[in-house]
Amino acid sequence: MKPITVTLTVNGQTRTITTLPNKTLLYALREDLGLTGVKDACGGEGECGACTVILDGEAVNACLVLIGQADGRSVETIEGLAQDGELHPLQCAFVETGAVQCGFCTPGAILAAKALLDRDPSPTDDAIREALSGNLCRCTGYSKMIAAVRRAAEEMSHAR
Amino acid sequence: MPAELKTVGKAELRKDAWDKVTGRAAYVDDLPREGVLVGAVVRSPHHHARIVAIETAAARNVPGVVAVLTAADVPGSKTFGPLVQDQPALAFDVVRHMGEPVALVIAQSKEAARHGVAAVQVTYEPLPAVHDPVAALEPDAPRVHSGGNLLTRYEISEGDVATGLAAADVVIEATFTVPRISPAYMEPESSMARWNDDGTLTVWVSSQKPFEDRHAIAGVLGLPEDAVQVCSAVIGGAFGGKEDSGLPVLAALGAWATRGTVRLINNRHESFLAHPKRHPARLHYTLGATREGELIALKAVVHLDTGAYASYGPAVGGLLTEMLAGAYRIPHVQVETNVVYTHSPFSGAMRGFGSPQAHFAIESMMDMLAHELSLDPLELRRKNALRPGDRLLTRVTLDRTAESLPLILDHLAAARARLAQKPPAPGRVAGVGIALGMQSMGLGYRVPDDSTNRLALAPDGSVLLYIGSPDLGQGLATAAEQIAAEALGLPYDAVRTVDVDTSVSPNGGVTCASRMTYLIGNSVMLAAQGLIAALLDYAARTLNVPRDALRYEAGAVITAAGERVALGEFASRAADEGVPLVAEATFSFPYPEETTPKHLPIGMPHVMLVFGGQAVRVEVDPELGTVTVTDVVAVHDVGQVVNRAGVEGQIEGAVAMGIGYALYESMRLKADGQWVDSFTEYLLPTAEDMPQIESVILEIPEASGPYGVKGVGEMGLVPTAPAIANAVFQATGVRAQAIPIAPEVIARPLGG
Repeated sequence: MKPITVTLTVNGQTRTITTLPNKTLLYALREDLGLTGVKDACGGEGECGACTVILDGEAVNACLVLIGQADGRSVETIEGLAQDGELHPLQCAFVETGAVQCGFCTPGAILAAKALLDRDPSPTDDAIREALSGNLCRCTGYSKMIAAVRRAAEEMSHAR
Repeated sequence: MPAELKTVGKAELRKDAWDKVTGRAAYVDDLPREGVLVGAVVRSPHHHARIVAIETAAARNVPGVVAVLTAADVPGSKTFGPLVQDQPALAFDVVRHMGEPVALVIAQSKEAARHGVAAVQVTYEPLPAVHDPVAALEPDAPRVHSGGNLLTRYEISEGDVATGLAAADVVIEATFTVPRISPAYMEPESSMARWNDDGTLTVWVSSQKPFEDRHAIAGVLGLPEDAVQVCSAVIGGAFGGKEDSGLPVLAALGAWATRGTVRLINNRHESFLAHPKRHPARLHYTLGATREGELIALKAVVHLDTGAYASYGPAVGGLLTEMLAGAYRIPHVQVETNVVYTHSPFSGAMRGFGSPQAHFAIESMMDMLAHELSLDPLELRRKNALRPGDRLLTRVTLDRTAESLPLILDHLAAARARLAQKPPAPGRVAGVGIALGMQSMGLGYRVPDDSTNRLALAPDGSVLLYIGSPDLGQGLATAAEQIAAEALGLPYDAVRTVDVDTSVSPNGGVTCASRMTYLIGNSVMLAAQGLIAALLDYAARTLNVPRDALRYEAGAVITAAGERVALGEFASRAADEGVPLVAEATFSFPYPEETTPKHLPIGMPHVMLVFGGQAVRVEVDPELGTVTVTDVVAVHDVGQVVNRAGVEGQIEGAVAMGIGYALYESMRLKADGQWVDSFTEYLLPTAEDMPQIESVILEIPEASGPYGVKGVGEMGLVPTAPAIANAVFQATGVRAQAIPIAPEVIARPLGG
């Protein structure tokens, strides 16, 4: 298999990588770019959401995106969420509400929530549940994750 | 006492959360990749087969493949196992379940490893397989192990069950079936091992038991234990399933054989097939009572499918046996539990450890009996609930902890009344069900059940807490830090946990059995006394005053003159002088001589119990048979709360697991002979499936617990599934005796 060269924007920075074309965005981020906050929990089948990243503004499973499909596009990962050392309100809310247990699903869940809040700053609980429904979590029972998203949305609306 | 607490019970934030929300937390697969070889496992495609030949030459010739290992390459013990050493590191002679490791390929890249796995040619002679634990006990059943298919049988009899049943006004009988459940933690099993130049191994694990992994690795490699260092990475959930040394052993074997560093990560299919599951079971119950609803006799016969290897099967069978009568006083009890080998992926430890299976049966039976007698299921429970001083079927005399049961029932009564007011959505029917639950703490009598932990004063005056048992994600470290801070009168931020490393940490025991906050907490409180003593000794020498002229108070040494010298001053001075200010302490789970029955097998009985109950409201679509859980009120006595968000998180997560158990999850053998082994077919509850959960937390202190703590890790799961089944009955009149509850079971009787 011949490697391909792909240029994409990752957390605001232009990155060019040369990698195998059968590699998914998930493993390109993890292995070629060293961004290990994106996780694989289902074996690359798009079932768990642990690899959720934001691709051109939309939450996607990075395991279902071949790296070539990301060429010329913009990716946000958990590592890019804090700005100038300041955590994103979602990150703070996840910490403060106790929404984090083992943490393996946390980056994906936060990014799914961010994609939601980016398009709907004051979502209903049902909208939050729907936005998180692709992110499996075995520890928390989701209650505190949902509460964290609600809390972050409130924080952000006060800040505006 | 609680009013005086300064840190325990306060809403402290867990310190690992920041790394976890920023992606910095390093799980095994996130450790550096440079120069690390990739392991991949050749697995059995058969349920049962003789291995005729393994041809590895072609695989060795795959570019990038460094080694191909089979059982013949295992230098030490070919098998390992926590209770019975029956589990091969790599299969030899036969494979006993689909997914069993047969060969290990080590390569320079994932690609090469994948090609290497495909190039290993294993010739099998398929053999007949048995997957049903009852059928497996037939004399002509295919044998899983040469010694026969019965791994363990427990029989306990109290009173005279025949007389009891004969005296009963009403006797009901039913068989319940509960499924094979994957712990389905989000991080699949993962391990990385490095061969060091000095002939030692360093192994990073995602495990509940680094010290036992060390033992298993040393055994399989024929190394002394002190040549193996096991370090805990950040762990992405465990729930009992990471009480298996299979992957650490294989990673270590790969590193040993290649003299390199090898990482081995299970994908989700491998996690399903080759790691411990919750035991599927069939439970046959006969329950007799008086017309007024007084329980007289219970007879139960249980068959647990333990799969191909023993793992913790014997212990799970033991605890299940102890839990078979649930939280009820029944004078005549006769129970028999069979733990049976089959050619299924092996079962082992999982949250609840036999209690969820037992409770699905007994709590369903209680509602069935109430229906039979036209009694209120809640009042039937109240009439028969255990009381302090009652004797369990193990002859353990219950202590004060049973005082929680009437309170739990009061809360359930109120919750039920409230939930019953809610009208169902159009086209739906609604019902409210309740169930009680009982869970043990600790490992049981005559099993080493202790934990050693260490506190060390750092030069900056902070305290390092070396817990010897890993935090699985549940927040154990946070609870331990809060208890340490409380015991030392320091702020929470002054205590930091050091990750488990067997070359540095004391042996804290396996993180399991709802026992860690209790055990580590007690041990840390003892260590805190030791640390204060060491500090005062040092201060007395340094200040050249008599030791008894000094006392310790909240981070300072107080002199006879009332002068306060901050802890940090001694800490930095001691560090300069090379004087360690350290204290270590062991706490052993109490099994009081006078109240612990001695006639039972090892691991029985458990003497400390926790109780809870849940009220569940469901809505059912009668045409489709689909069940939606809308509300759960979870009432649990956890003793003193150390961290409320942590306790709620345990209960909420457990309820979710209980909903999955009742409605969605089953790792079953499909018609095509393949196991359900992916999240495509094995359905976990999602955020959209979750009800409103209200946790009612009772804090009846446990006298022997640190600040009154009891265990909470497993309990929250126990009542959920039967409460859902009971709610479905209330809504539809259909009694589900098998979980997960199939929609057709409900829809058909309703004419849908």
